[in-house]
Amino acid sequence: MKPIIEICGLGKSYEGRPVLADIDLEIGSGELICVIGASGCGKSTLLNLIGGFVKADQGEIRLNGRLVEKPSRQCIMVFQEFDQLFAWQTVRHNIEFALKKAPERLSHPEIRSRADHYLAMVKLSDFGDYYPNQLSGGMKQRTALARALALSPQVLLMDEPFGSLDAQTKRELQETLLEIRQETQATTVFVTHDIREALYLADRIVVLKAGAVAAVLKNQTRNTAETRVAEITALLSP
Amino acid sequence: MKIKALFLKPYSKYIWIALMLLAWELTAKLAPVSPLAFPSLELILTALIDSIINGDILMQMLFSLGLILIGLGIGVALAFLMSFLSVVSPVFASFTDTCVSIFHPLPGIALLPLIILWIGTGSMAILFIIVHSVLWPMILNMTAGFKAIPEVYKKIGKNYEFNTLQSIIRIFVPASLSFLIAGLKISWARGWRATISAEMIFGASGGIGGIGWYIFNKRVFMDTAGVYAGILMIIAMGIFVEDVVFGQLEKNTIKKWGVA
Repeated sequence: MKPIIEICGLGKSYEGRPVLADIDLEIGSGELICVIGASGCGKSTLLNLIGGFVKADQGEIRLNGRLVEKPSRQCIMVFQEFDQLFAWQTVRHNIEFALKKAPERLSHPEIRSRADHYLAMVKLSDFGDYYPNQLSGGMKQRTALARALALSPQVLLMDEPFGSLDAQTKRELQETLLEIRQETQATTVFVTHDIREALYLADRIVVLKAGAVAAVLKNQTRNTAETRVAEITALLSP
Repeated sequence: MKIKALFLKPYSKYIWIALMLLAWELTAKLAPVSPLAFPSLELILTALIDSIINGDILMQMLFSLGLILIGLGIGVALAFLMSFLSVVSPVFASFTDTCVSIFHPLPGIALLPLIILWIGTGSMAILFIIVHSVLWPMILNMTAGFKAIPEVYKKIGKNYEFNTLQSIIRIFVPASLSFLIAGLKISWARGWRATISAEMIFGASGGIGGIGWYIFNKRVFMDTAGVYAGILMIIAMGIFVEDVVFGQLEKNTIKKWGVA
């Protein structure tokens, strides 16, 4: 599989304290990678570096062979915060908002049909006219996902997007994400601290420990058995 | 209990006003006060209706409102420009902060002698005072609003490849609307006061004078009922702007979005 993201010798420090050191990773087109690690291990920093939101101190990241220097519409981030939706726009307008400024200059009917398509994909067709404050946490995250997908990014970056949801809603959203993935084949980098979530979603799991890659595990079988959980827990423990 | 409930409704303001008017009328009728200082409601209402019929008070009111609207427009535009530059440049932000600390506590009226020297006494001078009254509270609220924007919104703006101006217009302004409306309310109140004070001093030297000049003129001719009529108009306009203009604006924006 041709790599879409190439990370080479990546390092980042905050105020002299190294957060990530010497990260090498290749992510294939259409792959769903879960980055897992304890709090403060640098997984969100890694995602922010891939997205171009922060600059690396060492090494480089290439997206389709081109150096990542700043955030772009090729790499759209979905955040953990529920308030990532624009409060002043309805669900539909949240999705249409970025499309209106698309470089390919979409016509109004095209924007509408694209928004409809992604609303249906995240099962929110009946909620297009709702404002974010009228939605549950799960619905807000579904909207955020639809909004990101509507831009057809090459890479979807997800920073613990289901981290604040209850178990049932979390599972529903994970299933939706897998369905969407089947349909769009979007390359996804998904950060989580939930081992079962990583085992359920990922093609490969990147285990980060103290700012370095401790292991990269193949996960084709998506086996969430306790033995697998224990295996990763062992890798994460100090 | 029922009476208590009456005073907890949104319209309770009007019940209080009715009670105050009643107290006023009783004082005017029963207490030994001179009608010149304390005219009865009939006298005030007659003066008000006469002024409305001959068009005088409405023209003066419109004149003052026109001045304020222009002043508000200029003030808000300048405030936006300075707040925008403050977002772009931290150096400019420190300049803006300094200007706000110097000029915000300075009443426009205190500048009057200088303004007369610089500009004269016409509408331009009044506009200058209004802009001064509007600009600083508006900047204060705009910059506070921009600073309070969640980090995640800024990141999304970058992710969508918005430039600074696009980010500010499309994300910062709507995201800080509750601050902007609060700023507009303060600016409106300060602008309105400044206009009336300046009109009383400048008179009709630049135009027809405005509602401040109307009140001043009535006092000169000892038409106390006319003075009260002018004051009533100002109060009515204040309540209208607060309840209807800003009330509707908030209802259709920040209250609807759940950010008020």
